[in-house]
Amino acid sequence: MSRIMRKLNQWTAHLFDLPQDIVSDVPRVSLIGNRKLFVENHRGIVHFSNENMRLSLAKGELEVTGSELVIRGIWTEEICIEGYITEVKVHGMEDAKP
Amino acid sequence: MKPPLMGKIRGYVKIQIRGQHTEQLLNHLLAKRIAIWDVRRTEDHQVSLFIIVPDFFRLRPFLKKTGCRVHVLARHGLPFSIGQVRRRSFFVTGAFLFLLGLYMLSSLVWTIEVKGNESISTEQVLAAAHEEGIYPFQWTFRLKETEELSKALHAKLSSSSWVGVTRQGTKIVIHIVESTVPKSRKLNNPRNIVASTDAVITSIIAEEGKAIVKPNDRVKKGQVLISGALGSSESPLTVVAKGSIRGLVWYEYSIQSPLVSKQKVMTGQSVEKSYVQLGERRLQVSGYGQVPFSHYEVKTEFNDVSVGMLTLPLKWVKEKIMEVQIVEEAQEQQEAAQIGLRHARTDIMAKYGPNARVVTEKILHQKTENGKVKLKVMFEVEQSIAEEQPILGTS
Repeated sequence: MSRIMRKLNQWTAHLFDLPQDIVSDVPRVSLIGNRKLFVENHRGIVHFSNENMRLSLAKGELEVTGSELVIRGIWTEEICIEGYITEVKVHGMEDAKP
Repeated sequence: MKPPLMGKIRGYVKIQIRGQHTEQLLNHLLAKRIAIWDVRRTEDHQVSLFIIVPDFFRLRPFLKKTGCRVHVLARHGLPFSIGQVRRRSFFVTGAFLFLLGLYMLSSLVWTIEVKGNESISTEQVLAAAHEEGIYPFQWTFRLKETEELSKALHAKLSSSSWVGVTRQGTKIVIHIVESTVPKSRKLNNPRNIVASTDAVITSIIAEEGKAIVKPNDRVKKGQVLISGALGSSESPLTVVAKGSIRGLVWYEYSIQSPLVSKQKVMTGQSVEKSYVQLGERRLQVSGYGQVPFSHYEVKTEFNDVSVGMLTLPLKWVKEKIMEVQIVEEAQEQQEAAQIGLRHARTDIMAKYGPNARVVTEKILHQKTENGKVKLKVMFEVEQSIAEEQPILGTS
């Protein structure tokens, strides 16, 4: 996606008051308590273990830390992680301030 | 996670994947839209997950690509249950045979009920039904349509006006409505009609046979009035003579009628006694003592003793003893005579039938003696004088 296109998309989204995750390829993360985590718009699994899990995103990575982590369900766009989640970290997102 | 739609039917397995690049393998599966769930890291380089059976067989190329090995841990769903069933073939055949037997037995005719027949015997109906294929242990699917059966049975049973065949499960009900057949006439011997007493004929109507006498003829007892013998001497023909003959008959009555009539009158006084009766034996319960009346009438009432629905062999008997007074009433001579005549008339009616009619009555003699009126009366009565007499020795 070119820079201009992205800018245009963002501008349209702003104009029509649309949520960001629909118009651009950013992930949508929902955390239910500390037990369940839904990630939409992921790009696959990078690392997977009981304590630590890293998911690749369109840009960057999402790191989930906890214990007894289990992938309850996984689909091409969406993933559901269960376990005792203690940390959710985002690495290398484009808009991150240095 | 629950297995996806139809997962139970298509079958799913729990597998263990060993290898260095399990994440890569998962990503490949995602790309190919292979559904997996409950992914768990069991050890380093070892992952367990669930997958449906058709997808399991698509795993091989990805395993080769990533250098992983697979091991099935558990099997779930219908394809595996079928395998189990195959191992218990005897049980399954038994269950199947049971269902088959149940179906077979329920498609047999077990009982046949015949309703509404009175003159046609049940055996006759069952025999006709048997010819039409309705009999116990017949297959119901071999039976014809019930309408057809009713028609056929109706045709076979000539004295039925309607036959209905209905099937209720394993029971066949044959409803029969019988046609009302006129009563067959009694067979009679050839006979004559003769006079039962001496009489003068007043009317003669011969329904069958030949009237021999005419009205106003004087006949003797036993004389043939309507002859059953017809035809000439060459070709004799005897019939059952039938007809009505009325004639005048005379009766002499001697009547005694008392001048003092006695009548019973209730005084209204009464005493009650009650008993318990078992069989023929009675035990008095109340109303002991002598009856204080010289003349009385007794009215007895029986009541069955019952407890709930059960009727005991006991009876509760109530006797009402009512005092009666005899009232004597003096009568005129004429009145007494009238009462005597009335008695005589009812006696004639009782003896000679309701059709008898007193034509004239003549008091021949009347005298009063010892407080009684004595009458001699001649009644002329018109009555039926027909008497049947079989014709014997006709050849």
